[in-house]
Amino acid sequence: MKKFVNNPQQFVPEMLEGLALANPDTLKYVPEYNLIMRADGPDQNKVSIVQGSGSGHEPAHVMIVGKGMLDAACPGDVFAAPPFDYVHETTKLMASPKGVLLLVNNYTGDKMVFEMAQEMSAAEGVNVKTLFINDDVSVEDSTYTIGRRGVAGNFFVIKAVAAAAERGADLDEVIRVGEKVNSVTRTMGVALTACTPPAKGSPLFELGEDEIELGVGIHGEPGRRRAKIMPANDIVEELLTPIVKDLPFSDGDRVALMVNGLGGTPISELYLLYGQAHKRLAEQGITVGRSYVGEYCTSLDMAGASITLVRLDDEIESLLNDPAEIPIRVF
Amino acid sequence: MTATNLADIEYVVRTIAQTAVDKEKEFGDFDAVVGDGDLGYSLARGFEKVLADWDSYKREDVSTFLQQIAVTITSRIGGSSGPLWGTAFLRASVTAKQFNEITGTAAVAMLRAATDGIKARGNSDLGDKTLLDALVPATDELERMITSGANAADCREAFAKSTRERAEATSELEAKRGRASYSGERSIGSPDAGALAVAIIIERIVAGWPER
Repeated sequence: MKKFVNNPQQFVPEMLEGLALANPDTLKYVPEYNLIMRADGPDQNKVSIVQGSGSGHEPAHVMIVGKGMLDAACPGDVFAAPPFDYVHETTKLMASPKGVLLLVNNYTGDKMVFEMAQEMSAAEGVNVKTLFINDDVSVEDSTYTIGRRGVAGNFFVIKAVAAAAERGADLDEVIRVGEKVNSVTRTMGVALTACTPPAKGSPLFELGEDEIELGVGIHGEPGRRRAKIMPANDIVEELLTPIVKDLPFSDGDRVALMVNGLGGTPISELYLLYGQAHKRLAEQGITVGRSYVGEYCTSLDMAGASITLVRLDDEIESLLNDPAEIPIRVF
Repeated sequence: MTATNLADIEYVVRTIAQTAVDKEKEFGDFDAVVGDGDLGYSLARGFEKVLADWDSYKREDVSTFLQQIAVTITSRIGGSSGPLWGTAFLRASVTAKQFNEITGTAAVAMLRAATDGIKARGNSDLGDKTLLDALVPATDELERMITSGANAADCREAFAKSTRERAEATSELEAKRGRASYSGERSIGSPDAGALAVAIIIERIVAGWPER
């Protein structure tokens, strides 16, 4: 597998260095802790919003640091939770008088590290809380996780809590918003191919030429079932049906609809999926109020996509509508 | 907080660290029976850093001292052992703030906080074949001895003896947490590596106490 890579051990630091050099006015890179933070942060007048995770999911989360989104992101190596001391130091560095919210996708390794960092920082006097995101409907438990996984739907939690924080909400209020959005967000993904971590150099798992993995996790963990490749509209049905049934979403609901690419699928294919998903929702009386098509949370170079639905109300829609400035949205 | 107390705590931590470093191979061999054999390596890497940083730790009080130990081992011990052992030291540190003097009663409270922390962090409980199956009943025994009015030396001896017995008794249990749980029923017949390691550490602490 051909990759743009020098030393696989330096893959993440070299990516972060490039990101910082490309955004000198808005981002700051702290190499000691793999930390990307807003150049003007931490803002003493708002709750700091921080997300950590393994790398390999870009633009999540280092490329969604900016005004109206994350104040900082502290990634680990590819698909590995950040080390404890990185999270601990990041939390202290981002501490504002209004507090810090650590957002974490629900994976066992991340959960342990972030809970520990929260407890340690709190013992040192930092006002810090942790919120776990678990939007994946496909499986309860999987290779990396206890309970449901957090996947692309975390974008909506980040956007909403960040908007609330920018408006001046206190830490408890920000958490209320985050829990609410998480509770009405559902995602399911599908892989057409495996992904290749730079340090491994070969695909992470085997998927036959004519096979797809339904309910795949963002590290390529197994999902609900393996199936033969089928027409795109049928794949949309395979993803949308479990999502709609799960919450459940019903006639009269207004939703945000995201079709997220997993890294190796052209945007053209994502819009093809989006069109079918939109029409199928309309047939069930579900109105799409906000649309998101592109790469939000990827799995390196995996060909595949996920569909996310968020049930909107006036509060959530208003928060999602607030302005934000992040590297991947700059023209 | 008296200086004498801090000296005792320093002795305990230093003995834990030195034992983890000295017994790296032995602890690893315990773990290789049903686990993945990395316990000795993981603990040694964390605690050798504690020894290396020893002189740089702040010693304002017992709580501050223990918290810095927690930071070091959480950062340096790989896998899930880092957060688990780190939580034990952190909870003991927070609990130490409630006491003006680290008496036997305070030690029991700190041990309870440590084991409760391990339970919470690891989502584990008694019977899962972990170090909890040695340390929790041994703490009960220590508390019972203190309450009965036994002298300090007898309390320490009973604590070490109970930890050893309970660690050996984990042979009968089936692993439900950690890598050893992948072995399922095959884990029955061998004691838990973490429990045995804790027994050996506590035996060293107790044996060296008079000359600390």
